[in-house]
Amino acid sequence: MRSLLSFLPLIIPSVLVSATEYHEQLNLRPLPLSALLASFNFRANTSIADFEAQNFRLFPRSLGQILQYAGTRELHLRFTLGRWDAESWGTRPWDGTKEGGTGVELWAWLDAETDQEADEKWLTLTNALSGLFCASLNFIDGTRTIRPVVSFQPEGDHPNTTLDNTRLLHGVLPHEVVCTENLTPFLKMLPCKGKAGIASLLDGHKLFDASFQSMAIDVRPICPSEGECVLQLEQTVDMVLDVDRSKRPHDNPIPRPPPGRDLICDTSKPYHKPDDSCFPVDHLRGQEWTLSQIFGRTMKGTCPLTDSETPPVCVHIPSTRDIFSSEGAHEIKYPNNDSLRCYHIEQEKEFTLILTKPEVPADGEAASLGIVKPETPVLYAERSFTGHGQEHGGVQAILTNPGDDTVEFVYMESLPWFMRVYLHTLSARISGSSPNTNTTTEIVKQIYYRPALDRARGTQLELLVSIPPHCTVFLTYDFEKSILRYTEYPPDANRGFDVAAAVITTLEPKAMNIRTTSLLLYLPTPDFSMPYNVIIFTSTTIALAFGGLYNILVRRMVGANEAPSGALKDKVLGFVAKLKKKKTAVAAVAAGGSVTPATGKTGAK
Amino acid sequence: MPRLLSTALSLRRDPRLLKIPPYISAFCIAIGVVWLLLLPLDDYSRRTYVSENALLPGQVHTYFGGSEQSIFRAFRHEVDLLASKNNFEVNDKLESILTGFGVKVGRQNYTYHSAGEIYSGENVYGILQAPRGDATEAIVLVAAWKSIHEQLNRNGVALVLTLARYFKRWSLWSKDIILLLPPDSTTGTQAWVDAYHDAHDSKYIAPLPLKSGALQGALAIDYPFEHRYHELHIIYDGTNGQLPNLDLINSIVNIAGGQMGIETTVQQMAGHTDSYQDRLQTMLRGMLYQGLGYPTGPHSSFIPYHVDAITLQPAGEGWHDEMAMGRVVEGSFRSLNNLLEHLHQSFFFYLLMQKNRFVSIGTYLPSAMLVAANFTIMAIFLWVKSGQPIAKREATDKPKGDISEGKGVSTTTPSSPPTVERNLLSPLALVATCHSISAIPLFVFNHLGIKTLPLAFLLFSVLSTALPAIFSFVIASVQKPTAQFFQLTKSFSLLILGVSLATLSTLNFSLAFLVGLLASPLTFIQPTKNLVTRLFLVILLIITSPPVVISSAAWTSGVTMSEVLKAASLGWNVWGMYTPIIIWCVWWPAWLIGTTNTLSSTFKI
Repeated sequence: MRSLLSFLPLIIPSVLVSATEYHEQLNLRPLPLSALLASFNFRANTSIADFEAQNFRLFPRSLGQILQYAGTRELHLRFTLGRWDAESWGTRPWDGTKEGGTGVELWAWLDAETDQEADEKWLTLTNALSGLFCASLNFIDGTRTIRPVVSFQPEGDHPNTTLDNTRLLHGVLPHEVVCTENLTPFLKMLPCKGKAGIASLLDGHKLFDASFQSMAIDVRPICPSEGECVLQLEQTVDMVLDVDRSKRPHDNPIPRPPPGRDLICDTSKPYHKPDDSCFPVDHLRGQEWTLSQIFGRTMKGTCPLTDSETPPVCVHIPSTRDIFSSEGAHEIKYPNNDSLRCYHIEQEKEFTLILTKPEVPADGEAASLGIVKPETPVLYAERSFTGHGQEHGGVQAILTNPGDDTVEFVYMESLPWFMRVYLHTLSARISGSSPNTNTTTEIVKQIYYRPALDRARGTQLELLVSIPPHCTVFLTYDFEKSILRYTEYPPDANRGFDVAAAVITTLEPKAMNIRTTSLLLYLPTPDFSMPYNVIIFTSTTIALAFGGLYNILVRRMVGANEAPSGALKDKVLGFVAKLKKKKTAVAAVAAGGSVTPATGKTGAK
Repeated sequence: MPRLLSTALSLRRDPRLLKIPPYISAFCIAIGVVWLLLLPLDDYSRRTYVSENALLPGQVHTYFGGSEQSIFRAFRHEVDLLASKNNFEVNDKLESILTGFGVKVGRQNYTYHSAGEIYSGENVYGILQAPRGDATEAIVLVAAWKSIHEQLNRNGVALVLTLARYFKRWSLWSKDIILLLPPDSTTGTQAWVDAYHDAHDSKYIAPLPLKSGALQGALAIDYPFEHRYHELHIIYDGTNGQLPNLDLINSIVNIAGGQMGIETTVQQMAGHTDSYQDRLQTMLRGMLYQGLGYPTGPHSSFIPYHVDAITLQPAGEGWHDEMAMGRVVEGSFRSLNNLLEHLHQSFFFYLLMQKNRFVSIGTYLPSAMLVAANFTIMAIFLWVKSGQPIAKREATDKPKGDISEGKGVSTTTPSSPPTVERNLLSPLALVATCHSISAIPLFVFNHLGIKTLPLAFLLFSVLSTALPAIFSFVIASVQKPTAQFFQLTKSFSLLILGVSLATLSTLNFSLAFLVGLLASPLTFIQPTKNLVTRLFLVILLIITSPPVVISSAAWTSGVTMSEVLKAASLGWNVWGMYTPIIIWCVWWPAWLIGTTNTLSSTFKI
C-alpha cells in the first residue's frame, strides 16, 4: 500500500472526487531569512443530493443552511492580515487564488432573477455570515458592494442554465481586523474541530503573530465527468511565520537582547573583540526548528475522517537537509521532485518534525542556505497614493513584469464613493518613456467603469492591461476628496479611511491572483470640538445682540403722564383677579385634601 | 441702550474724535509689546500636558541595551571606516547592512541648484515592514550622514542601524518604520519628503522606488560626538515657522525626563532656571527661529507635509551614553506606534518658554494682531482725514467738522458738510510702483550666484536708501504734492501692511510680530517743515530699513552677509521659505513709501 503511494506523482492529488470524502494537508516551505510558509488545506465533499436533503455529514450544517437560505451557488470568503512580500518570498501560495485583500473579502454567486433580488439575498447572506464568523460582514452594504464583470469567474462546475440566473456580488471590508474570534468559528467547521490532525497545530497566538496570514473558505459545486455532482467546501489557512519570533517561549515572548556570548559575530572584522564589538551575521545562520517550537504545540495524530491516501504533512526543502520525524511517521520521497518530502502519520500518536541546522555555513546566498529558492512571480504589483493636501490626490500602481512573456491581466479597484475618481486622468506609461508620451491605449486594452453615486455605491473600475516582458508600468489616476457630513465620520475620523486592495487577475501566461496592500485615505476632517464652540459662541452673540436690538426697536420711551390709559389692560387684569377669587372660593367649598382644586389653584396663580 | 446709542451718534460728529487714532495706534503697539512680555508669567502661560491619551509616553519598559552595545560599537567602527568614502560608497555599505536585517532598501538621487551652487547627493532609506501591518502607516527615523553642524553623525547613524536590527525582532509594530539616511541634514530629507508626497520636480529629484503608507511622525538623531552627554536638546522648528504637534514634544520630554532621567532642553537653553528672564529668553529665541522660517534640522522638511517631526541632539557633558539615547528613541517609537489617529489632539501653534511650559495661540495672538491693527487704524484715519477740506481741518474747534465720511452713514445727517474729492490716481500709482519694483530684490537675491550676491546686496542697500529721494524728486517735479497725496499714499501703504501682517500672524506669528514692530515707525511719520525733526525721522527710517536691519542682525550674530544671503537663497530654492517675500514685498515697499513721504517736502518746487 505504502509503496504504491510513493508513486503518486502529485503533491496535492488531482481532484479525485468521490461523493463524501475529506482530506487535509499541511505544506511547509522555508523562505529566505527566517520566514516559513505553512499552508493548511482542508477539503470536504458532500453530494448535492445529500446537501439538498439537508443530510450534512462533513459539510457544516451552520454554513450549509445559510447557503441554502440565501440561494448561494458559490461562495468565497477571505480573512487576511499582513502582506505578502513577493520580492523575497516569490510566488504566492495557491497562485494567490486563496487570499484576499487586507481585512475581509467576500464574493458569491447568488440565485437571482433580478438585481434587486440579488441585493436582498446578499443582505441575508452577509448578515448571516457576520454572525457565523464574528466579523462585521454586515457592514458590507451597497456602498461597498460591486458586481465584477471580468475579474472573477466561477470556479465550480455550473450548468449554463443556472449560471444565467445567478448574479456575482463582491464586497470588501478593508478596515476589519482579523483575529482569534474569526479563527474559532473557522476551526469549528472542520470535522475534527481542531482537536486532531493538522488543525491541532492552529494556535491563535502563533497564527496572528505571523507576518502574513490568510484564511479562506470556498464553497463550489464540482461535477466530475462521471458520477454525481458534489458540493466542495475548501478551507485554507496560509501563514508566513517568523521562525525566530515563533520559537520564543510562550511565557517569555519579549525579544530581550541576548547575552553577549550568544551573538553570532563576523570574526573576520578587524575590530572584532568579544563582549566589545560584534558585527552581527545571524541572518546567515539558516533555519533550524521543530514543528512543536514554531506552532507552540505538537500535532495530535491524524483526523480519523481524513482520506488515508493523502499524506498530511509535506515539507519543501532540498534533499541535502536533514529532517527527523517522530517515531511511527513514514517519510515519502518523490523521484520527480527531490525537494519535497511528505509524511504519513499514525492516528492518535503525537507527531513532530525536527529540521536541523544546515551543515555548511553559508556564504551569503539565499540558495545556499538550504532552502528551495522561491519562484519569481509573474507580476509584481504595488500601489500607493500620490499628492498631498485635503482636496485632491492620486493613486499610482506600479506593475512590474519580470518575466519573458507578455502578461495580460485584469486590474480591479473597488473604491469608496467619497473618493471621486477622474477617469480622464487615467494614464499608463512604461517606465523609461517620458511622462508625456501617451501609451495608455496600448497598455490598457479595455476599461469597465461604473461610476460612484454619493452615499449609494462605490466606484468599480476594471481594466484589461497587458505588459510587455521586462517592463514596469505606472498606472495613475487622480481623484477628488469629498467632504463628508458631520455624522458620517467614524469615531476615529483622524485615522483616515481604508481603501480596499486592488485585485489583479492574470490571464496570460497563467491564471493567478495578486492583491495590492490597502491604502489609508485622509479626508478633510473637521475639528469636532469646533461645532460646539461655534454653537455656543453664536448663541451668546445672538442672545446679547437680539435682546438689545429688540428693545430699541420695540420699546418706546414716554413720560409717565403721557402714557395712554391702559383701559384694555385694566379690564384684563380685573378679569383675571375675578377668576382667581372664584377659584379660591371653589377650592374652599370643596373637600380639603382633594387634588383637582389644588392644581386649579396653582394654575390660577 | 438708546441713550447710549444717541450719545455715540452725537460723538460721531465731534472733531475731537479725529485726534484719537494716532494715540490708539501707539497704544496698540505698546499693549502688543507688553502683552508679549507678560506671557512668561505663571498666570499667562500653562504647563504642558499630554493630550492624546493613546500616546502613553514612558509607560513601556524599554529593553534596548545589553549586548546591543557590542553591535552598536561594531556599526560605529563600520561608520568610521566609511568616513572618508564618497556618498555612493557609503550608501552601498549601508544598503548591504540594512538588507542583512531583512529591511527593504531604496535609493534616491537628487540635485538642487541654489545661489550658483549645486547640492546633490543620494539618499538611502530602508523600510522595516510592520510584521502584521498592511503598509498604510509609517513612522520615520532619520540620521543624516552629516550632522546639523556638518560633522560626521557617527553615533547617530550607528544607532539607527542598531535600532533597526533591534526593532526588527519585535512583532508589535503597527506601522512600518522607515530608516532614512540622507547624506546631509539640509537638502537630503527635503528631497526625500517631497518625493514621498510626489511634490518633487522630477527633473532634478528622482522618485522613490519604494514607498510605505501615510507618515505619522518622524524623529531625527543628531549625535556626532563621542563623549557622554548631559541633556537632550529638542529641536522642533519647522520650515516657515510651522511647528510639530505639542504632544510629540511632550511625549519625548516625558520619556527622556520621567523614564530615563535625562534632562531635556529647548532652544539651546541649557541650565534653564525657570526664572522670568530664562523663560523670556527661550520664548524670544523660539520666536526668532520661527520668524526666520529657516529649517533648523533634518526634521524641518517633514512639518510642511503635516508630519510631526523633531530632532534629538545630545548636548553637554554628563553620564548618559548612546544606549540611553537608543532607549529614548525606542520609547518614543513605542508611543508613536500606539497612535490610532494622526496626531491632532494637542496644539500646533504655541510658544515654548521651558520644556514644560507654553502659551497657546489664543493667548499670544492678540499681541501680533494689535501690532498689525495699529497700521489698519492709522490707514482708516488717514482715509477719513484725506476727505476733509483743509480749511475746516485747521479750525478744529468749529462744531460743523464732519468725520462721518469713513463710517458711511452720513446720508441721514441733516447738516451734510462738504467733502473734498479725493485724487486717487497718483497715490495709487506710487503705491503700485513701489510694490511692483519689490519683485526685483526678491528675484535678484534668489537667483544670483554666491560670488555676486554680497555685491548685489551692497548695491541694493545704496539704491534702496537713494530711491526715496529720487521718488520724491520725481513726484515734486511732476505735480505739486498736496497734503491729501501724502495722506492717501500712506493710507494705502499702511492698509496693505496691516492686512498682510494680520493674515501672516495666524500663519507665522513671530515673523508678523517682528516685521510689525520694525515697521511701526512708519505709522507716525509725516512730512514736517521742521528740518531737525525731518533729519531725525530720516535717520530713524534708515536705521529701520530692511537692508540695514538685515546687515546689522547678521553683524550682531557674527555671520557674514554672504552666508546670510546664501542661506536665504537656499531657503527659497529648496524649502520654499516665504520670509523673503514678507521682507521684500511687504515690508520694503511700505518702508519705501514712508521714506518717500518724509523726504517729499524737501523737494518742494
